[in-house]
Amino acid sequence: MTGRPFIRALFLAAVLALLAPRAADARRHDPEKLPETRIHDLHYGDVLFLYFQNDEAHDFEALTRLLAYEHWQRMPHDGDDAQLLAGGLYLSLGVHNEAGAIFGRLLTDDVPSGVRNKAWFYLAQIWYARGYLDRADAALRKVNGRMSPDLEAQKELLFGNVLMHEGRFDEAIQLLSGWRGGAVWSAYARFNLGVALVRVKRLSDAEPFLTAVGTLTANTPELTALRDRANLALGFAFLQADQPAKARTALARVRLNGPYSNKALLGTGWASAALGDYQSALTPWMELRSRNVLDSAVQESYLAVPYAFGKLNANAQAAEYYESALSSFGAENLQLDQAIARIEHGDMLHEVLAREVSTDASPLAPHGWFRDVKRLPDAPESPYLYSILAGHDFQEGVKNYRDLVYMSGTLDRWGDSMVAFQDMIDTRERAYAEELPRTDALLASGALQQLQQRHLDLENELRTIEAQHDVAALGTDTERDQWARVQRVEAALAGAPNTPETAEARARLALVKGVLYFRLNDAYGARLWQEHRGLKDLGLALSEAQSRWIRVERARKNVPVNTGEFAQRVAALRQRMDALQVRLAATEEQQSAYLAQLAVHELEQQKDRLAAYEVQARFALATMYDRAANARAAHARPAAPVQQGAEGAAAESAGPAPPDAVPQPSPEPPR
Amino acid sequence: MPELAFPRAPRPLSGRARHTAHLTGCLAAALLLAAAGLSRAAPPAAADAAQPAATAPQPTPVQPPGGLDPQQLEQFKKAAEAAGGAVAGAMPAPASPAEGAADTRGLDQQIQGLKKDVVDLNRDLFILEEELLFPANTQVAVFLSVDVGDFFALDSVQLKIDQKEVINYLYTAREVEALLKGGVQRLYIGNLKVGQHELVAFFSGKGPSERAYKRGASIHFEKGVGAKYLELKINDRQRKLQPEFEIKDWD
Amino acid sequence: MGPDFALHAVAGANVRLSEHRGEVVVLSFWSSRCNPCRAQLAALNRSLATYRSAGLAIYGIGVDDDPGKSLEYARSLPVGFVLLLDPAKQVSRSYQVDNLPMTVLIDRGGTVRHVLRDYSAASDGVYVQQLRTLLNE
Repeated sequence: MTGRPFIRALFLAAVLALLAPRAADARRHDPEKLPETRIHDLHYGDVLFLYFQNDEAHDFEALTRLLAYEHWQRMPHDGDDAQLLAGGLYLSLGVHNEAGAIFGRLLTDDVPSGVRNKAWFYLAQIWYARGYLDRADAALRKVNGRMSPDLEAQKELLFGNVLMHEGRFDEAIQLLSGWRGGAVWSAYARFNLGVALVRVKRLSDAEPFLTAVGTLTANTPELTALRDRANLALGFAFLQADQPAKARTALARVRLNGPYSNKALLGTGWASAALGDYQSALTPWMELRSRNVLDSAVQESYLAVPYAFGKLNANAQAAEYYESALSSFGAENLQLDQAIARIEHGDMLHEVLAREVSTDASPLAPHGWFRDVKRLPDAPESPYLYSILAGHDFQEGVKNYRDLVYMSGTLDRWGDSMVAFQDMIDTRERAYAEELPRTDALLASGALQQLQQRHLDLENELRTIEAQHDVAALGTDTERDQWARVQRVEAALAGAPNTPETAEARARLALVKGVLYFRLNDAYGARLWQEHRGLKDLGLALSEAQSRWIRVERARKNVPVNTGEFAQRVAALRQRMDALQVRLAATEEQQSAYLAQLAVHELEQQKDRLAAYEVQARFALATMYDRAANARAAHARPAAPVQQGAEGAAAESAGPAPPDAVPQPSPEPPR
Repeated sequence: MPELAFPRAPRPLSGRARHTAHLTGCLAAALLLAAAGLSRAAPPAAADAAQPAATAPQPTPVQPPGGLDPQQLEQFKKAAEAAGGAVAGAMPAPASPAEGAADTRGLDQQIQGLKKDVVDLNRDLFILEEELLFPANTQVAVFLSVDVGDFFALDSVQLKIDQKEVINYLYTAREVEALLKGGVQRLYIGNLKVGQHELVAFFSGKGPSERAYKRGASIHFEKGVGAKYLELKINDRQRKLQPEFEIKDWD
Repeated sequence: MGPDFALHAVAGANVRLSEHRGEVVVLSFWSSRCNPCRAQLAALNRSLATYRSAGLAIYGIGVDDDPGKSLEYARSLPVGFVLLLDPAKQVSRSYQVDNLPMTVLIDRGGTVRHVLRDYSAASDGVYVQQLRTLLNE
């Protein structure tokens, strides 16, 4: 599997398939172009825009926004699609727990089976890679109906692998036997089937499959490697089954210079030995012996060669080679000890992986992020680690961890923003602190309402004046004073007796009143109009004041929500960031420790193997010297009883038995 | 004759009206001040600090994930061959099945948890940022979608709000592809006061046979209370082979 | 972090810096009136041939006010990398270009790691060294 990019490309197609095409618009379209999509919600479209750009940075941003838009409920029409996309995004970021939960919830029968199956298949892949065999098994069983031929083939293979890793070989055999995939994957299927059959000891059934793979025309490096593996597996299976001639035939097909050549050389030697032809055995073993002693097959050849010499009665040479083996093993052991010590004291993750030194001085900041492993530093333990580094556990662990570090890198960016936010909030708080009391007082004063009431009163008054044609009410101050005086006099005169003086006064009053009234009445029309206008203007001014009042009220209402709450949120988020950084640092330690553990374990296994070989060599040597001594002495002393060595090897008849020489063939997952 | 004492006539209507008007004016001024003070503490208007979504801060990604990519894996295998080691192949082979698996899974679960927490935190930070910088009552966001039949390579889009240029975005091939697949870009996000505003947009690009296009469109819109979303739609529905601009107000 | 940007190219599609994360990116600012820039750009061109397959991306950024002048200059430059135009000088401002030629080395994660001002045989050696370190990461 080429991993993430592969997964997301196919998921992308599934997402697009989900989005129903736009209703037929009778438009000319490039048939190669992806189907038009119908987006209901703008914000969902935004997420898709990021997702369609096809890289991890955008995926992460897409997921972030998707979740945020869900929070704000901005995608009312695309709910399920959005959720499904979230699942896919989680998956591509390696957060398979979430993806699994989402898919489990959403992938009901009404979701098109194409999408459903793909989702479960991808989940199964990542679970298998991470070692969650049970989950992978369950997910694969959820795949209902056939996917595209290519995916179907991959799925079957994956299932086969899962079953084999669960030890359910018979089921795996059944599955793979019924497999009908394309040519590309068939080699893998046959290989895995062959391996499964070998594991349940059905060698004769396994033979045709492994032979088929072992003789195929390989035009890619992967297939060539697979071919070698098949021949190797077959060869060793035959060895174990005491069919050395067939073993030799199979092993002869393994490339002389390839990842499996050493084991093949070893096996070939053993096959010859089993046929009693030690001279022939020497050829592959001597070749093997000249290769790098770090390899276990090579180490074994260090013993196999003298063993063969012994069998050929070339005892002096045998002894020489045993001695040489012992000294080589001794030196190697020393190296291993040193390597182990270095790893245990060092920081495996930091040394082995090329690292970028962070310029951030903060002790809690992760030390940078890990790029691909390009080359190992020139440390003594480096050569031993190649096999681990190419191994799956290591790769998955580093990849997983690296995703995490990358995602956390975004937190650094936010760190700066948080400071800016804090400033903004502080400024606002200060501003509000100044403004709020004033604003509150203003709003509480009810000034607007009072003015509005006044306006109302004025309007009523004017209406009354108008209804009564009360010309005096609209007079100037002077006029009203005069009018008031007129009325006072009038009232006074009303109660007075009718004398010629009062009559004259009344007459004069009538005149004055008339003139005054005439003046008032004359001006009344214009004045009335003006009052109306004045009130109208007032009305407008009040109306505008009212709008402003409302706006200020509203803004005021938002204030407590805005500032206090924001400050709290910023504080809480900063806490979470800090906490995450701490956990990150802790995980980095753990990841490092775990990788170191893997490495040390591997090295200790090598040590154990060397130790075992050493014992055998010493034993064989001792026996030889013993025999020589006896032969020199006058003789016919019965040979010393053969003692079982650590690996149950008898010096004479069997020599060093191949301890790990028969590697358990393991299923080959497709790339 | 004796002056009778009568109560003074009430103040004239017009005087009171004038007085009331005067008070209203004072109130209006006070409200204006209050409003100004409150908005001083509020998010910036379109004129300043508008953060286009396009330049939303990018996370700091690393190389594409993949651990050892196939090329490097090959390098490793070669090195392994040289060392004579057998290559394990790409399958989980824990040192001792039981404990190896448990260790990997334990660590994996931990990392899963952390990743989820980082995602959640990132979401909350995004939410905070937007609510703080572009609160709903002033937020205006402009989206861009493309729906063209024949190949049209969008080159750039410019936006002006109330005569001021707010963004001039250049599109790469990858972004155009994302748009053609149906993505909708959030081109711009900013703040505007309640009221009438004008958006003017131009796009330029190349159609089939390298013919260059430049089109514009404008819209007057009312910013009320609540976020305002506008969508710029480039499509060739009207005249095939000729992309046109349409602006949709998502009320 | 090197500020992100998008610019028109002298020929071809627009270029956005952030789309090249994962590559080592070299930005070299030049103008039509800058003679030493020629030598700088030629030197960069040489490194392109050698290191392109290791993930090196080079962009020359012309900062002439008049893009026409940049185009003319560009035509006289036989380089194999893309030349971009920054007449508005937004990018050169954000990268604080105070001198020409100025060359900025950005690592695979997008962080600016080295800035080289002027060009000389010695600086070329430094450049190659720094480049190789970044490529090896």
